[in-house]
Amino acid sequence: MAERLSRDLIALRVAAELRRGQVVNLGIGLPTLVANYVSRDRGITLHSENGVLGYGPHASDETQDPDLINARGEHTTLLPGGAVISHNDAFGIVRGGRLDVAVLGALQVSEKGGLANWLVPEKGLGSPGGALDMAAGAKRLIVITEHTNGGAPKILKECTYPLTVAHRVNLIVTDLAVMEVTPEGLVLKEIAPGWLVEAVRELTEATLIVSADLKEMDFGFPKEPPVEKVCSSAAEAVADVFDGAVILMDGFGGLGGMAHYLMLALRDQGAKELTVVGNTVGIARVSAFGAPPSPDLQAIDHSILVETGQIRRAIASFPVSPSPSRPSAFEGAYRRGEVEMELVPQGTLAERLRAGGYGVAAFYTPTGVGTVVAEGKEVREFNGREYLLERAIRGDFAFVRAHKADTLGNLVYRGTSRNFNAVMATAADITIAEVDEIVEPGELDPEAIITPGLFVKRIVQRPPGFSPFQPIVKE
Amino acid sequence: MVKERLGRDIIAMRVAKELPEGAVVNLGIGIPTLVSNFVAEDKTVGYHSESGVLNYGSLAEESERDYDLINAGGQFLQWVPGMAFFGSEEAFAMIRGGHVDVTVLGALQVSERGGLANWMVPQRGVGNIGGAMDLAVGAKRVIIAMEHTDREDRPKLVKECSFPLTGRRCVSLVVTDLAVIEVAPEGLVLKEIAPDWTPEEVQSLTEPKLILAPDLKEVEL
Repeated sequence: MAERLSRDLIALRVAAELRRGQVVNLGIGLPTLVANYVSRDRGITLHSENGVLGYGPHASDETQDPDLINARGEHTTLLPGGAVISHNDAFGIVRGGRLDVAVLGALQVSEKGGLANWLVPEKGLGSPGGALDMAAGAKRLIVITEHTNGGAPKILKECTYPLTVAHRVNLIVTDLAVMEVTPEGLVLKEIAPGWLVEAVRELTEATLIVSADLKEMDFGFPKEPPVEKVCSSAAEAVADVFDGAVILMDGFGGLGGMAHYLMLALRDQGAKELTVVGNTVGIARVSAFGAPPSPDLQAIDHSILVETGQIRRAIASFPVSPSPSRPSAFEGAYRRGEVEMELVPQGTLAERLRAGGYGVAAFYTPTGVGTVVAEGKEVREFNGREYLLERAIRGDFAFVRAHKADTLGNLVYRGTSRNFNAVMATAADITIAEVDEIVEPGELDPEAIITPGLFVKRIVQRPPGFSPFQPIVKE
Repeated sequence: MVKERLGRDIIAMRVAKELPEGAVVNLGIGIPTLVSNFVAEDKTVGYHSESGVLNYGSLAEESERDYDLINAGGQFLQWVPGMAFFGSEEAFAMIRGGHVDVTVLGALQVSERGGLANWMVPQRGVGNIGGAMDLAVGAKRVIIAMEHTDREDRPKLVKECSFPLTGRRCVSLVVTDLAVIEVAPEGLVLKEIAPDWTPEEVQSLTEPKLILAPDLKEVEL
C-alpha cells in the first residue's frame, strides 16, 4: 500500500489554498503547521483569537515575551504592520465576515459539511473555545485532518459527536485526499500519490463523488499580483461608488473626523440616489462645528452632496442645524420632500454600526423606549426593564477620516476625531480611509492601531495644504 | 413688581453641588455646559463627552482651536493631561453600561413622573436626538438644569409631556431659576426655593401639584 502524506505535506497542501490578502485563522494541532508555509511575502494576515493580527514565526527562547502569544499559548512574534487587538474585536472580525479562511482540525467531518471537533463524548467534557465562532464566521472553512483515526473513518455521512457547526465546511484536506463539500455531496478532487480511489473509499464512510478532473494532489502555489491599497487620488478611491449605494460617512459633525477630500470626489463622480449614514447630515456649515476662519469661506460638509441632489436618504442622529434660524441644505431638501430621513439616537446608531461590523444581526437597547423611535419596533422586558430591538446597519462604502495609515491599511486617529469613524470602518464592504500621512508597515505602534488594516480596502492621502473650507460662491 | 429669578450661572452653581467626588459626569448643551465652571477646585470630577473624550478640561482659546479636540456641542477643548479618547460606540457603551454617574441635561418639558422632553419643538417639525435618549436611560442620575418656564412664561414642569419624549421616568432632580425639585415616587417635591419666592408663587408657574419638603429651604449654594 502507498504511503500516506506526512503532516507537513498536508499542511503544505492547505497553504496552497490560501490567497494573497486573505485573513486566516489556524486552529490547534495540524492547522498550526500551515503557518510554516505562509511566508511573509505572500501577503497573508494570520489572525489569532486572543487578539493578534499579523503574527509571524514562533519566538525564540531569547525573544519570547509572555505578553505576545497566540491562541494556543505559544510564544509568537509580530510582523511589521501587525496589530494587537482585544478579544472582543478579534471575534468581531470573525463574525463580521472579515476572516477569509479558518483552518480547523477535526474529530469527525460529515459529507454535508458538518464538523465535530470540540468534544469526545467518552471524555464527557470539552472546550469549544473559539471553534464555534470560527466555524460559523469564516467565509471559507477548511478542515485539515488525518483521514482515519486508528483505522476508523473520520469522514462520515453524519457526525455522531457534538457538532461545532452543521453545514459550513467547504474543503477537507487529509493525508489521502482533497475533498470539496458541494450541494450534490462530497467530491473527491485530489488524491495522494500512489493511491487509488477504491482504497480511499474503503477508509471513508461518506459517499465520495469522484470529480471528472480528479488528479494527484497538487502542492503548487498560485502566482498572484500584490494587493495595493494606496490610491493616488480621492477620485480613484471613489470611482466605483454606484447609484443607490449606502455610504457611511461623517465623523461627529465637526471638521475633525470628516472625509472632506472623499466627499468632494464623490460630488464630482456624480453617483446618485445615495443613502448616507452618519451622526449629522451637514451641519458644519451652519453651526459652531464648522465656523470658518473668515466670512467669505464655508465648511465642506454633506451640503455639497445635497445641493447636487445626490443624497436620497439619510440615517442620522443629529440631522438638522441646532439653530432653526440657520437651516442646513439637507433640512431645506427634507422640507421640500426631496430626501427621506430616519432619525436614530446617537448611541443606537453607533451600536447598530458595531453590530453591522461585528456580525450581530440585532440587539436590545433601553434607549428610546416610549419615544417616537420605538414606533414599529419590538419591545421586550429583561430583568424588569423594557428594551427595544434595533437592527444592524451595514454600508456598501465607508468614508473614514483617520490621522495616519500604513500601506496595509492599519489606522490611527487623533483626539475626538475617532468618534464614528472607527466603528464605520468595520461596517462597510469597501472602507476607504482619508488620512494625513501614509507610512510603511511597522511605523505605527501595534498597540495603538485602532482600525486593523483588514477592515480597510483603500487609502488616500489628503493633498498638501488641503482646506476643509471653500469660498462662498455668490449667486 | 416682577421678582428676580436666579441667573443661568446660579443654576449651574447649584447643580455643581450635586456632583459627588470622583463622579463621571456628562454635561449637555446650554446651561449644563456652565456647570463645570462651578465645581470646587478640590473636587475630582471626570467629564465625559459623547464626542469621544474622558477627563477633558477647559475650553480652548480661539487662537488654539484644534479640529481634533471638541466636545459634543462642537466647542474646542484644551489638550490636558489625563484625557482619554475613544470611538462613539465606546462612548455610548459607557453611557448605557451605567459607567456615567451623572448627566446634566437641558429640557423643554419635565413631567411629574420624571419624563423628559428635550429634543424637539413640535412646531419646527424636525429635531436632533443626538445623545440625549441614551443619556436619559443610561446615566445613573439625570439632573435637569433649565428655566422654570418657557419664553411665554408657561410651565415647563408639566403633568404629562406634550412634546416628543426623550425618555420616560428618567429624571431624578430638576434645578430651575426658581427652585430645586426632586422627582419622588409620590410626585414632585419642592426642596429648595429661590430667595424672596413663596411656594405658592412657584406652584402657580408649575402644572403638577408640588409636595413641599418638610425641610424646605432657600436655594443653597
